[in-house]
Amino acid sequence: MKPSRLFGLAMAAMMLLSLGLAPALAQDCDGDVIELEFMNWWGAAREALMDTLIGHFQAENPCIRVINQVQPWDNRAELLATAAASSNPPGIIMSTRPETYQFAINGLIIPIDHFVEAHGTDLSVFYDGEIGLQYWNGELYGLPMPTAGGLTGLMIYNKNLLRDAGFDPEDPPETWQELEEMAAAITVADPMGIDVLGAAAFGTDSEFVAWLYTNNGKYVTDDGRTLLFNSPEGLETLEWMLSVTNNINHGTLNITDFFQDTAFAQGDHPWYEDKQAFLHINTSFFGHFNVNDPEGYADPSSWGTMLRPYNGDNPDAHSAGTTGYNYSGAWAYTIPRVHPPEKQEAAFKFAEFIGAHPLGGCAFLFAQSRPSPVKECNENPAYYDVNPYWSVVLEGLALDTPVQITPVQGQLAEILSNNIAEAYHGVKSAEDALNDAHAEMQALLDEFWAEFDAENM
Amino acid sequence: MAQASIKAKQTQQDATWKVRLQEWWFRNRALIGFAFIFPWFAGFIIFDALPFIYNLYLSFTDYQIGTVGVPPWIGLENYVEIFTEDKFFGKSMYNTVYYLGFSVPLRLIFAFLIALILNLRVRGMELYRTLFYVPSVVPLVAATVIFAGFLNTRYGFLNQFLVLIGAMPVRWLSSPDAIKPSLILISLWGFGGQMIIFLAGLQSIPDDLYEAAAIDGGTGWHRLVYITVPLMTPTIFFNLLLGLIGGFQIFEQVFILIGTNGGPLQAGLVYMLHVYNKAFRDFEFGYSAALSVILFLIIFVLTLLLVYTSNRWVFYGDAQDDGT
Repeated sequence: MKPSRLFGLAMAAMMLLSLGLAPALAQDCDGDVIELEFMNWWGAAREALMDTLIGHFQAENPCIRVINQVQPWDNRAELLATAAASSNPPGIIMSTRPETYQFAINGLIIPIDHFVEAHGTDLSVFYDGEIGLQYWNGELYGLPMPTAGGLTGLMIYNKNLLRDAGFDPEDPPETWQELEEMAAAITVADPMGIDVLGAAAFGTDSEFVAWLYTNNGKYVTDDGRTLLFNSPEGLETLEWMLSVTNNINHGTLNITDFFQDTAFAQGDHPWYEDKQAFLHINTSFFGHFNVNDPEGYADPSSWGTMLRPYNGDNPDAHSAGTTGYNYSGAWAYTIPRVHPPEKQEAAFKFAEFIGAHPLGGCAFLFAQSRPSPVKECNENPAYYDVNPYWSVVLEGLALDTPVQITPVQGQLAEILSNNIAEAYHGVKSAEDALNDAHAEMQALLDEFWAEFDAENM
Repeated sequence: MAQASIKAKQTQQDATWKVRLQEWWFRNRALIGFAFIFPWFAGFIIFDALPFIYNLYLSFTDYQIGTVGVPPWIGLENYVEIFTEDKFFGKSMYNTVYYLGFSVPLRLIFAFLIALILNLRVRGMELYRTLFYVPSVVPLVAATVIFAGFLNTRYGFLNQFLVLIGAMPVRWLSSPDAIKPSLILISLWGFGGQMIIFLAGLQSIPDDLYEAAAIDGGTGWHRLVYITVPLMTPTIFFNLLLGLIGGFQIFEQVFILIGTNGGPLQAGLVYMLHVYNKAFRDFEFGYSAALSVILFLIIFVLTLLLVYTSNRWVFYGDAQDDGT
């Protein structure tokens, strides 16, 4: 059976189940129904799926009515900040790790350890590296979903383009050097810029950090206090990225234009037109690919999944991924402080369901063929039916390294991004870019920790 | 007879009532005037004045998202940091002034020229006027999204056309050198509002002045330079002032076209984007409030300067005759 049909069947089964159970159990609710506004960014494409999940939750919790408030991605920062700071915030908020920390440090959300204890929630069902990302200052502020893993360590590739360029499509590159060789052979440029792209080693701070870990580098110490990215490994990484961009991809401006006004989730990405050989996004790729091009997704002979290549010249380097570094990693569901305890408890129940329940987060992520932060969910053998590269996904998850960040991560990331951009545009050398970024970022980080330590002494 | 008497009495009563109403209206004219402006005044107090005062207060505090109770008072610290440490303050101000320096005069000239053309007496002019005003009716967000596609380097209509005629494609929104000129070009799209004001001004110029000039042998150029432009200076002044105030606050187009970071090398980081980033990305609302106060002061001083210098170049037509 085709994976797309399996998705359809799974979704239909879940919907039927929720429709059947919800009315029956709703009658058992004697008290007042708690309305829980669920502010999230799952997007219109996944709204029906989320509604199904909510149906399951309400069937089990008839006294809680979840209002699915899917938000537009545009103006996200503004929407989130104003909602979180208002006197009447949503009942539960989907926030990224830097945002969770920021809200926690400003007292906008509550730690959930007491709920975990009261409900006997078993946190060991999560991968250590996943649940660990949701702690700030020793307190747990959210339960994860989706997974922060598989975010940077996996890449997908177009087998047809490899085949056409004379490479074995079943033998994807393992090292930077092999990737360069294949990318150079595949990339085609015309007077308007790049027509077919081999691989991009270009992007903001998060892309640099992702490649840094495949060169045995580190972004920060484990205590989050000292930045380490301007190491020899860091410099080598950025210089390699610049070399790929300038020597293979015909410069920064061409690679920028290649991706201009495209979005993988919207289906107008060069990938769908066989214009890009190697691509990194994250594990949401599988679901988007299946929705936007179900025939392509159902044909594993045309595409593959591989681990992010490592620096073959560095004997200590290996394929690796990071978790919890950038904004799109380590999402969690956080509970605003201003609500009454019964509403907060309802929010926790929903967070627990959406995070770890087989009919909640597990089913939601399964329907998108992407992994869950819950170990047991990923052990579902049916994953091999809906995702032809499930074994590679699991391999990638095993290689992930958690990165420690602080509430000022947004500002740090901006500084690093701007300096890297200056290197790409030839304003600075790679070394100056990293050193300048490091000096400015470390000063900011030191200032944060000084204030934090003073308040927590 | 009796009927006539009743009618006369009725008319007298009506007249008395009318006179009383007029007297009441006259006695209370100030109150009635206030009643008419009250909705605007209430809106101004609630939605402009109070938020402004609160913003001014916040600019002296370390107000961050979620601050409970009274935000900590830090005096001038935000202002000191802006002028001594904030490298994006200067950059965003430069980008904004660069944009203003070109977009405001270009829009004024463009709108004025189109208004001059639309002031000609030719058949079907109403249709032309409507057509030229249509762009101003299109919502800004929709227009900007269309421009994003139009200016796409590889697939945009403009570059496809340039390549067709043998020219090199331009990286309108991806090159640091081209971003500001692109924004300036896009700003011309909204010329319709100014054009309508110019058109109204042009139509208020008395025809006899042009007739007198024609009798004296004045050419079209003479009429433009010696009659139209001087009599239009109040309108030019008005449009210039509004253009400057609006230009300083440019935000939506840049936000949609190149994102909050301001594009490559922050070439498009305009001042309001910086204000937005400090508030909603870094959650430093006190600092962001200070940035807005600085912008207000800049606009305020500039407006005062313009008003002050307007005595020298704006002709209101009511100058006192010196009797010579």
